Amino acid sequence: MNNVAPPVAELLEFIAQDSCTDEQFDQLALRLFAYQYGASAPYRSFCQRRGATVRNVKTWSDIPAVPIDAFKAMELRCEPARPDERVFMTSGTTRADMRGRHFHPHLAVYDLSMTRNFAARVMQGTPRLPMGILFPDEVAMPNSSLAHYLALAKSAFGSEGSRYFMSPQGIDLDGLWRQLEEAERNGEPYALLGASFSFVHVIDALRREGRAFRLPPGSRILDTGGYKGQSRELPLDTFYAELSALLGVPRSLCINMYGMTELSTQFYDDGNATVPSVKSGPHWIRSRLVDPATGRTVPAGERGILAHCDLGNFNSVNTILTEDVGAPADGGFLLLGRAEGAQAKGCSLAVEEFIQSARS
Amino acid sequence: MNVQRVEAGYLPGLSSADVQWQTLPFEQDGQRVDVAVPVLTAAQMQALALRVKRASAQHLKTMTVSEIITIIDRAIARLLDPNDPLRRQADALLPVVTGYDADMVRLGLTGLLKTFRAPQLHRFVAEDFANPKVLDSFQPAIKGGAVRAYGPQLLVHSWAGNVPALALWSLICGLLVKAGNVGKLPSAEPLFAGWFARLLADVHPPLADCMAVVWWRGAGDDDASALYAQADTVVAYGGNDALHAIQRRLPVTTRFLAHGHKLGFGVVSAMALDAQKAPALARRAAWDVMRYDQQGCYSPHVFYVQRGGRVPPRQFASYLAGELSNLQHRFPRRAMDLEESAAVAKWRQSIEWQLPADGADALIGDPDSAWSVAYADAAQPLMPTALQRSIVVAGIDTLDEVAPLVAAHHDYLQTAGVAATPEELYRLAEQLGAAGVTRISAIGSMSVPEAGWHHDGRFNLLDLVRMTEIEQSAETAADPFAPYEP
Repeated sequence: MNNVAPPVAELLEFIAQDSCTDEQFDQLALRLFAYQYGASAPYRSFCQRRGATVRNVKTWSDIPAVPIDAFKAMELRCEPARPDERVFMTSGTTRADMRGRHFHPHLAVYDLSMTRNFAARVMQGTPRLPMGILFPDEVAMPNSSLAHYLALAKSAFGSEGSRYFMSPQGIDLDGLWRQLEEAERNGEPYALLGASFSFVHVIDALRREGRAFRLPPGSRILDTGGYKGQSRELPLDTFYAELSALLGVPRSLCINMYGMTELSTQFYDDGNATVPSVKSGPHWIRSRLVDPATGRTVPAGERGILAHCDLGNFNSVNTILTEDVGAPADGGFLLLGRAEGAQAKGCSLAVEEFIQSARS
Repeated sequence: MNVQRVEAGYLPGLSSADVQWQTLPFEQDGQRVDVAVPVLTAAQMQALALRVKRASAQHLKTMTVSEIITIIDRAIARLLDPNDPLRRQADALLPVVTGYDADMVRLGLTGLLKTFRAPQLHRFVAEDFANPKVLDSFQPAIKGGAVRAYGPQLLVHSWAGNVPALALWSLICGLLVKAGNVGKLPSAEPLFAGWFARLLADVHPPLADCMAVVWWRGAGDDDASALYAQADTVVAYGGNDALHAIQRRLPVTTRFLAHGHKLGFGVVSAMALDAQKAPALARRAAWDVMRYDQQGCYSPHVFYVQRGGRVPPRQFASYLAGELSNLQHRFPRRAMDLEESAAVAKWRQSIEWQLPADGADALIGDPDSAWSVAYADAAQPLMPTALQRSIVVAGIDTLDEVAPLVAAHHDYLQTAGVAATPEELYRLAEQLGAAGVTRISAIGSMSVPEAGWHHDGRFNLLDLVRMTEIEQSAETAADPFAPYEP
């Protein structure tokens, strides 16, 4: 077995398949693990400290999950840096050295993963739709994986006339209203995509102006990313009730994407008629719920921290440990929110609060 | 499962049926306690506050401090008796509610109660008032004239639940200055304060209406505002956000005494590190880490250990790890929820990423153990750990290095545990005091503050009172009006 080069060709082929068996998933996961174990010294020592070696990792769930903090602390990459690589960075703090970085020597795997999955879960058989994007483009945010994701959605699935509604001043609301009016008039389904907090601004603006739209049947909304302090926080149920009421899109076509800079594959739900909705991914990503202290899978039925084994992550690490609390559900998992670090109950100081107070 | 239902709080003048109750469920090792906490309307809260004010003016403000101490001492004696029914209830329920090990709670509670016996309380008062009688009547002032101290009519407490029975500190302070007391229970430990109020009323019935113990959801609503509006002084424990939220709703004339989050650390001189003394010191240090799983404001996060002794800092870290491992058998760590567990894992991993390739042993204790010791060879600025018995041992060359390492967190400093020679102790105390430290204790005593300590460097009692002075001019001017004057 050649563990010196990344198994890119196999990955592309694997993603192009319609499904896979457990054995097939394990085989490629272990192949990728062996490659990354050999190619990345920090990853190797991380695994060794946990007693995980190429010899005793027998199945994808044996692969140690690397906490996403590691993407901040070090360069997790297998191939040497190259001038034309793409680097996706986590948002948040302005200090570049405190942002998580995910290095992509090329985006062939990322893009195939995104388009295969998007076609199935968002387009649902429709080849193209007119799209409105409520997020900055790739020129404005070259290091944002979400900007790339949305640009790819627009170029691969947007029909003519698809456009961004983002300016340096914020959302171009007037332009957006005109576009939505036109969609109402011509009766063609329309897709509105963007960050969750952008939709909160849209909701607020519509409420303020006392307006509402009835988008044609088949229209859909895709939101992602949570609010991240960029808008007021709405309870999920209120959020989708408002979206549906103000834009005329049924909640079953208000889809939420759960993605991370540290991954190369996204999760979707099948609409948000009920919340929290069940999230699931394609056959090249598998998730488990772990006890963060030990990294072991929690007993069946219990809540845990989500760990994802994403075969699309060929250059960083295939398995990451998130900070998201999940619960098992039929066909996927429920996302219960972020483990924000425990709040100290009284006078002692917890790390998160301390860091917050040091910033303020 | 064995489910027990307990009514919390203490509401003189209100019967159970008069108020709404909310249940806070607690579960530990197959035992379940449903604590019912009262939810009062704004009108009920206001009436309660008035009742407490009125009763304390009548019954508490007319007692002498010594009489009050006698009553508190009798209540404390009851609680110190292991066979007293209330004490047995506390020993049985507090571990379930707080999750702390039962023996840890029992020992901790006894230690805490001992600081509130009569001799300790007299010392407590004497610590703040050169002449304690100033709380009872006008006393001659040194500059001339006379002076008397008055406690608040209504002292409102907002307690934290990180350490069981924490409410005792401020409630007893309030009683010593003869204030009417209304305290808000913390949801994390909603039992002890109500029990103590009821016990005091039992020991001395006239006190029954001088205190109340209430609860409200989150930061409170109209109910909380109704209470705060009646308070002349508010003492609150908690995070800065919570404290700020309280402060915002107080009238500017209300005195606000806040005890925010704090960060403790220890310093070990090379002189304390010979082959005999170092292991014993590590044992005491481990106790400070173990008590209440580091949730106290006084709990240590980092031990700065000087190089050059017979036992090097890395060795001290090993001793500390060994002792924490031993203590885990006697006083197992509280079961952590997912968020706490994630925080500990995140902290451990953040250290792991910083390790040099050969620094594999800097993180002592595997992820499965209920404690972690991180060793850093280079001096490190003070940073909080993930608590839950996670501690940093950092090597230093001289004790003078410590103050600059902690000074940046001036507002968060409180306790420093020190093991050093007398000369070093005073030199270090000067530096640490200037940096913001308010309490220096022996290592092993960090988590057991002594009676009469100045919490966060403030005067526990003096801060609660207002002084009224009769100036000498008034006294002199009065003389000619006496009937016996010619």
